[in-house]
Amino acid sequence: MTKKELFEEIKNNLIEMEEEVVEELCKKSLEMGIPAKETIQEGLIAGMEVVGQLYEEEEYFLPEVLICSDAMNIGIDVLKPHLEGDVSADKIRAVIGVVEGDTHDIGKNLVKIMLEAGGIEVHDLGRDVVLDEFVNKAKEVDAHFIIMSTLMTTTMEGMKIVIEKLKAQGMRDSVKVAIGGGPISQRFATEIGADLYTKDANEAVRKIKEIHEAA
Amino acid sequence: MTEKQRLLDVLNGKSTDRPPVICPGGMMNAAVTEVVEGMKKNHNSDVDAMVEAAIKVHEITGFENYGVPFCMTIESEPFDVEVDLGSKLVEPRITKYNDDILNHLDEIKVKHSKRALVVLEAISRLKNNEIPVIGNITGPMSVVTSVIEPTDYYKMMRKDKVKAMKFLEVVTDYLIDFANQMIENGADLIAMSDPSATGEILGKKNFEEFMIPMYKKISEAVHRKETKIIIHICGKSKSILESLNKSGADSLSFDSVVGIKEAKEVLKAPIMGNVSTQLLDQGEEEKIKLHTKMVINNGTSIVSPACGLAMSTSVKNLKAMTDTVKK
Repeated sequence: MTKKELFEEIKNNLIEMEEEVVEELCKKSLEMGIPAKETIQEGLIAGMEVVGQLYEEEEYFLPEVLICSDAMNIGIDVLKPHLEGDVSADKIRAVIGVVEGDTHDIGKNLVKIMLEAGGIEVHDLGRDVVLDEFVNKAKEVDAHFIIMSTLMTTTMEGMKIVIEKLKAQGMRDSVKVAIGGGPISQRFATEIGADLYTKDANEAVRKIKEIHEAA
Repeated sequence: MTEKQRLLDVLNGKSTDRPPVICPGGMMNAAVTEVVEGMKKNHNSDVDAMVEAAIKVHEITGFENYGVPFCMTIESEPFDVEVDLGSKLVEPRITKYNDDILNHLDEIKVKHSKRALVVLEAISRLKNNEIPVIGNITGPMSVVTSVIEPTDYYKMMRKDKVKAMKFLEVVTDYLIDFANQMIENGADLIAMSDPSATGEILGKKNFEEFMIPMYKKISEAVHRKETKIIIHICGKSKSILESLNKSGADSLSFDSVVGIKEAKEVLKAPIMGNVSTQLLDQGEEEKIKLHTKMVINNGTSIVSPACGLAMSTSVKNLKAMTDTVKK
């Protein structure tokens, strides 16, 4: 099997939700002496890109995306210890979470999956995240982005408060803020001074990369 | 014409002088802070308070029904989850899942929790001839994703269909039992909300495979008791509209993202909905009145909020909505 064929196999099996096969093939790539970084990029991430498209086209829904993401993570677990050099230096770093008072996290989880598939380093604070935590974690990991989500109108205000906290700590210029969720809109994002609003996970990855490159 | 007659006429496909305006209960309830704040006991667990809250909702908001309970947690209690019983500011919610339950599906003996019995007693006290009493149940997908971590269940739907289906069936059988007893205690109709089954999350294929058989089963059971059932699904449900024709529901209720006109093109049953709850919570009276008129003009058969009301919603705003319908 050639390298190209192997990458194709990994990609297709990821799309087909065959976690065990993906794991086996990733192990095989190491036996074949293929650099881990290449396998991750050409096999796993390439596969997740197709999954993202299928999700956008409404062929795949959450259950399918979750399993594909598991397949990707199993592959990454096999390959990560063999990554050469410090590949994290040039990665986009993001802190993500559901705003304090809200526990709806399916959308946030989907965004996290797509961001990781897009090569972004994501620090997930989970749900019902105390507002200070967004700022503290962003400081701790030197994040480029804080990404906040909520499905409830009653917790939207928290997003504005996080932005104010960033300003108070002199961090507003170095950390970009992206928001999303059911009741969120571009108008609300503009009103509170957020840098980005997107209506779904795929758009989020695209726009975050665009903003980061432009900066 | 009584409020009960008008609502039942709509569900029986008869034309009425105007649409009824209701807030069924369960996920979509109007026991907002302003309604319950004076009450000494918890309307989510004490039978007197539950009855009092239901009556108060009808009296001061203008909604034309009684509805209990006021949360989505009671149906999960038989499966040993931890529940926070809420307060005058927040609704009850699950605080700890029971992931272990899947290992015991065969042995589980599902029986009513204390609060389920409170609901049945409340219904029997609310029973009357003029105001429709709605018994509310949480839909099967929302219950299973309240008992175990939702992403685990969604994955199971692909990875271990047999187990996922079995769990869903155990829950559905309990819901049928609960609904039947609500009817026996005097509920005039059943309303079921299943937000976790939204088309946005499941898509048409998963929805048809898992949910339609369960909804059919529930609807058939309710119909055997000569009672009607309303089903509410949240979110962007365009992908599952056609499938819902097979659910057996006597009326289908939607979120504000689903256009009533568009839904009417696909659905055979009368439509219920869908005044924006964000508007009801944060909007001004005039805007609410206009929006309610628009919803009526779009052809809704039963006017109701689009989804769960924020507890901070003012009675003034709710009255703006209900008064507009009754004018």
